[in-house]
Formats: sequence, C-alpha cells, structure tokens
Amino acid sequence: MGIIKKVPVFLEKVPGGGIITTSLNTIFNYSQASSLWYLLFGTACCAIELMATGASRYDFDRFGMIFRASPRQSDLIIAAGTITKKMGPRLRLLHDQMAEPRYVIAMGGCTCGGGPFYYDSYAVEKGIDHIVPVDVYIPGCPPRPESLLEGCLTLQKKVKTQKIKDWS
Amino acid sequence: MNRDELAKYLLDKFPDTLELLETGKAEPFFLLKKPDGLVEFCRAIRDDVELRMDYLCQMCGVDTGENFEVVYSVASVKKRYRFDFKFPLPYNKAEIDSVQTVWAGANWFERETWELYGINVRNHGNLTRFLLPDNWDQGFPMRKDWDAPDFKRLPEV
Repeated sequence: MGIIKKVPVFLEKVPGGGIITTSLNTIFNYSQASSLWYLLFGTACCAIELMATGASRYDFDRFGMIFRASPRQSDLIIAAGTITKKMGPRLRLLHDQMAEPRYVIAMGGCTCGGGPFYYDSYAVEKGIDHIVPVDVYIPGCPPRPESLLEGCLTLQKKVKTQKIKDWS
Repeated sequence: MNRDELAKYLLDKFPDTLELLETGKAEPFFLLKKPDGLVEFCRAIRDDVELRMDYLCQMCGVDTGENFEVVYSVASVKKRYRFDFKFPLPYNKAEIDSVQTVWAGANWFERETWELYGINVRNHGNLTRFLLPDNWDQGFPMRKDWDAPDFKRLPEV
C-alpha cells in the first residue's frame, strides 16, 4: 500500500481494513500520471538523450514510463528530434491513432520552433505545434536527461490537475 | 598512378574535353568543356582499361548565382582512383543527359538534382519526387532565388 504513504492528503484509510476511500478523480489521475507510456518517436539526435534517459543511469522506469512501439498502447508522444515537412503528416497520424487522453512533449529546439533549422531550411517544420497540440516544451539542443525528466514531471503535474468530467 | 599522373593521363587522353582546375584538393578536379559529349565521356572513362571508373560516388547540382553547375564524382573501385568533374549550365537551358546507361546508380542522384534544382534530365525514365514530400508544389528549393511563405534567410551580419 505504497500509495497511502505517498498521497496521504487525498486518501482516507478505513480503520481495521484493507479499504481506502478517495475520489475517483484522484485515483484516476494518480494512476495515469504514474504510467505515462510513451511512443517511440525518435527522429534525430534528441533520441540519443531519450535513450539515455530510458536506460539504467537516469531510469525512466521510476516514473512508470515505458516505451511502446505502437500508438494504440501509448499515452504520450515524446517527439525527440527534427520533424521535417515530410514527417509532419506521419506525426499527425500517429497522434490521432492514440487513445485519449493523449499528451505530447516537444523535446529539443527543432520541435519547439525549428531550432538550428529556423533559417535557410526548406524542409523543416518550424515547431510541431503547427501539427499537433503540445503540452510541454523542452528546449535544448539536445536537452540533457535532467531536462527531459523535469519536463516529464511537469507533465505529471498537468495530468494530476485534470478532471474526469472534462474528458470528451 | 598517383594524383598528378592520373591528372596527366586524363588530360593526354581527353585533350579537347577536359581542363584541370586548381583546387588544392587531394583528387583532381576537371572542367568538362563539352557538356554535349557527357555520356560518351563517361562511357570512355568507364571502359578505359587503365582507368575503369566503375563507380559514380555522387553527382549534384550547384547554383552559383550566375549559372548552374553539375558536379560528378567518379571512382575506380579496383584501381583506387578518384576524380571529380563539372560543367556549367545556363539558367535558360538547364538540361543534362542521363548517365544511367553508364552507371545505373545515377538514377537517384538525377532525380534529386531534378527536384531540388529544376535541372531537367533527358532520357531518365522515372523523373518523380524523391526527397521532397509527394504533394510538394513550391518549386525548386535549392535555387538561390527560391522563396516560400515560411522560409527565412539568415540575416547578413
């Protein structure tokens, strides 16, 4: 019953039993924020940092974040790397294939606003917010794993504020 | 043959066709004086027993601001030779002959040159989109005068 120790504010323990009372909202948000499975979407050098974050030293698994190779099983796209204009429709398709609620993290300068390809590039989309709605922007070229972890914690905070009745 | 011997051999063999450019690079760099004889020249250097230039490393277009240029880099896998040659093309007559009959690998390079620079390739057979999106309708992006709504040039400093 680790959950009781972690979020005691929202939980009430019934004496003498293995039963807790809480709001459905809290338990839903807690579960969702603690299991943000992300879609493998590494298109450039940011993916190296993403892999480093997923590996044992920085250990994404602490936050319940496991990579999935299918958008049907994912809650989150970490768009790691340059999105070209040719890749844009593919990103949109994968985003639309994910089940709601779904989230997008724009990792790195390229996905935030073009980055080093802002000038003199005919091929690169100047920010993926032209294609999909973005929840968290992580600047950097590429961002260190600490930045990515901070971004994921920020997203967890956002997930915990949502209301079930707002789900469409 | 080393670099200088290779350059001398080529200049002796094709005196009317080639002109050596001084670049300071490790490989000789030639100017092709007769662009009309491109395919014959390519076939000649491929079939020459001393050269055997059997591999087209790359070819690409260049927009110099005054005219187009097309650059070919060829190599001999067996003899370990390598050299480059180029020729200028005027803007109003940007057309080259396909060298696929000499090196089949030229296919993709020629498609790339066509779609990025608008240099038409005669006798290509499959001149379709290669790197750009399939629904691309904004012209030839590697030209110096190219522009698009969301395209920004780096400001001069």
